[in-house]
Amino acid sequence: MSIRIEQVTKIYQGVPVVNDVTIEIPTGEFFVLLGPSGSGKSTLLRALAGLTPIDHGRMALHERDVTHLPARERGVGLVFQHYALFRHMTVADNIEFALRVRRVKAAERRRRRQELLRLVALEGYDERYPAQLSGGQQQRVAVARALAHEPAVLLLDEPFGALDAKIRVELRDTVRAVQRRLGMTTILVTHDQEEAFSLADRIGVMQMGRLLETGSPEQLYRTPATRFVATFLGAANLFLGDISGRGLQLGSATIAPGRAGIAAAAGSQAVLVVRPEDIEIAAADTTPRSRHFARGSVASLAFAGHQQHAVVRLDHRSGIEPAVADAHDPDAAVTIQVLRSATEQAQLPVQVGMAVELGVRRVHALPTPISSFHVVTADATAARALQESPLLLQLTRSMQARVRVHAAVAPEERLDAGVVVLPLGDGAVAAIFALIAQSARRILCIPPGSALPGRIRVHAGGEVPRSELLALVSSVMRHLPVEAGFVSLQRPAASRSEVVEAHRELLDARAELRGGHGLDLRTEGYVGDLSGWVQEIAALPDPTLLVLGLPSTPAALTGRLHGELASLFEAGARLPLLLAVGAGATRSSDRVSAAAGERP
Amino acid sequence: MSRVLPTPLATVVAWRPRRNRQRQILPGFGLTAGYTVAYLGLIVLLPLSAAFLRASELPPEEWLRILLAPRVLAAFRVSLGSALAAAAINAVTGLLIAWVLTRYRFPGRRLLDALVDLPFALPTAVAGIALATLYAPNGWLGRLLAPLGVQVAFHPLGIVVALAFVGLPFVVRTLQPVLGDLDRDLEHAAETLGATRLTIFRRVILPALLPALVTGSALAFSRALGEYGSVIFIAGNIPLVSEIVPLVIMTRLEQFQYPAATVIAVAMLLLSFAMMLGVNLLQLWLQRRTGVRR
Repeated sequence: MSIRIEQVTKIYQGVPVVNDVTIEIPTGEFFVLLGPSGSGKSTLLRALAGLTPIDHGRMALHERDVTHLPARERGVGLVFQHYALFRHMTVADNIEFALRVRRVKAAERRRRRQELLRLVALEGYDERYPAQLSGGQQQRVAVARALAHEPAVLLLDEPFGALDAKIRVELRDTVRAVQRRLGMTTILVTHDQEEAFSLADRIGVMQMGRLLETGSPEQLYRTPATRFVATFLGAANLFLGDISGRGLQLGSATIAPGRAGIAAAAGSQAVLVVRPEDIEIAAADTTPRSRHFARGSVASLAFAGHQQHAVVRLDHRSGIEPAVADAHDPDAAVTIQVLRSATEQAQLPVQVGMAVELGVRRVHALPTPISSFHVVTADATAARALQESPLLLQLTRSMQARVRVHAAVAPEERLDAGVVVLPLGDGAVAAIFALIAQSARRILCIPPGSALPGRIRVHAGGEVPRSELLALVSSVMRHLPVEAGFVSLQRPAASRSEVVEAHRELLDARAELRGGHGLDLRTEGYVGDLSGWVQEIAALPDPTLLVLGLPSTPAALTGRLHGELASLFEAGARLPLLLAVGAGATRSSDRVSAAAGERP
Repeated sequence: MSRVLPTPLATVVAWRPRRNRQRQILPGFGLTAGYTVAYLGLIVLLPLSAAFLRASELPPEEWLRILLAPRVLAAFRVSLGSALAAAAINAVTGLLIAWVLTRYRFPGRRLLDALVDLPFALPTAVAGIALATLYAPNGWLGRLLAPLGVQVAFHPLGIVVALAFVGLPFVVRTLQPVLGDLDRDLEHAAETLGATRLTIFRRVILPALLPALVTGSALAFSRALGEYGSVIFIAGNIPLVSEIVPLVIMTRLEQFQYPAATVIAVAMLLLSFAMMLGVNLLQLWLQRRTGVRR
């Protein structure tokens, strides 16, 4: 591994701008850190270069720990957005700067300089001053300068940001060619998705300080794990689909449960990603070649060279529900974006207003169990207060998830889709019992008037499979810019094997989260029992979001809610809770049969 | 439009659109240029040429006699020497102060920043009196320095102190904006390339600040050369030791030796002008070197 970044955290004014980021980059890889401005990508790069001190974590370059080394001893080459050339020096002096401070002999310096200038195609520019060069040429000089001391890694901080489109593409090719030729491990920071696609071996997408997802451009485009990545890397239609025993339902289409992506989706409802180019438009009352899923009418068309952008308004009976909340008008008709190739346009020309059938070629289901939020309370003011609570607002905003308010829930209605939200207070325990009886699997309890939690703490408890709990935790972690930690408990008089077991649980949880979700979190061992730990967390000055597993059998549940966790529900309790309920054996068979019964 | 053009080539040249004829946002070049010339003539050139005229009434031998008098030569030496010393001190301390004020955020920074302008606002005579009382052998600071054998007030050293006081804001105020605009990434780049802090300062920061530092110091120097008010109170004005040129001119005027006074004044004027010209040429060379075209 050329670059190892482990749990690197940078806190700025109390907010983690880089939050437990772990990346391993093999030698020779071109890694692109992609993210919107303010996502922490530049901070991470500068931390790696040694220009910004970090608050937690370790960094190694070629297996050499550089965490506490000053920038000048790290041996990195850094290229800046605004070139940062020394303007009072010639091109030659700029490139030789790193060699001069290392007291390299003049002849050797000249040889190296000429080699580098040839590499960036600027031979003969030695005696020019930066002000006499164009922006693109200046950035070439900056690249040559950064390579002069044969750095261990090359770091590029938005290097093409200040250049115009044509020069940008040209320089991009140069940088890629130089990187390939030298086999130099490289990290490039950008907010430009196209740039990332054209350069990267692997992309890491950052948002709110977290490394959301890592993968090859194709992986991230075809099988994203989050709504953010799905929409940040190209256009996407996001819908909610129901998962039953027979498969996944999107409008009139049923997709087999075994298909990639859908198998990974957790819960009974999934967020579906449909790329605009994966939708087929067929004439009304004909059958599309791909799987038919809805009908609609063309709402607008836009010319895009050899392609055509179409927006189709779906028939209101299509039964398709968008996964993204429309802030302006929740009752607006559902529309879908379609991108048509020249061949498709030739086969079926469409006009605005034309009725069409829609087919879908490919669907991807996000693995998040948080497909939507369901506020369940009869009290309208309480429902509004919940919707406006900082925690739910933050989650729904950054997830762009929909919130539904259910004033009354019919006794036979199933609540296993998404997350059920209820206020923490009088009657919360009774409400939780009722919700679990109605097969609610994920319950978020928010204390009235609570602030945004300052950290997340997770305790598995044993009733919920760890993979299920971590799927939930990873979804929450990605959308709350706070520190997250996994906690194992051990009795004060624990035996040797119990201690080993507690440690193994921590290591396994972290490894599984890193392997399965590409995320990292802190681990903590607590000596004591559950009630003691819970009370200690509650005594901290700022509130903590507790993620806990709960048993589903009534007897075990009573023991837990009225026993160890009782203090969390007492009057004045102020910790928000995210409860994951284990699926009991009877429940899960019950669920399959019920699902089968729904759609005979 | 009945201009006669001698050759066809001239026609081509004459018809080429003039490059300076870009549309200006504010109209009226003729009016403003006329006003500028008239104003500068009235306020700057007229009094100066009067001095020249007055001085030219005297024959050259008389000029030499006046200028080469030991007292006058000594005054030139004191004036130039102390102005140079003060400018050098201000270049160093001004850079330090500008650095602290732009690079760090600390309580009281704005107050300190406002304090820098005080020498601008204060009547310089007040500053001279204050410095004289402070550095007099029985003053607060003078009392401490006297046992060490250091005399400041009524000594050329006092002149340097007064001139350093007067010239400080020039250096600080010219450096501040340049330092504020200095791209921090230059330092970061040098750091990742392996430079130590000293190297970064010497090879990256200082060269970038040099033009502004030269301008600021030159302004401080020329201000010091013409300073009168603060110096006469602290200098002691001992002929041949701590007498400055402006005082010599004043003395001649008080003795009604107007021609002599003007001769010394004109010499001073020419000297200042030559130095300013030198500084401007240095400035031009510095800009050329960085390839910045203006």
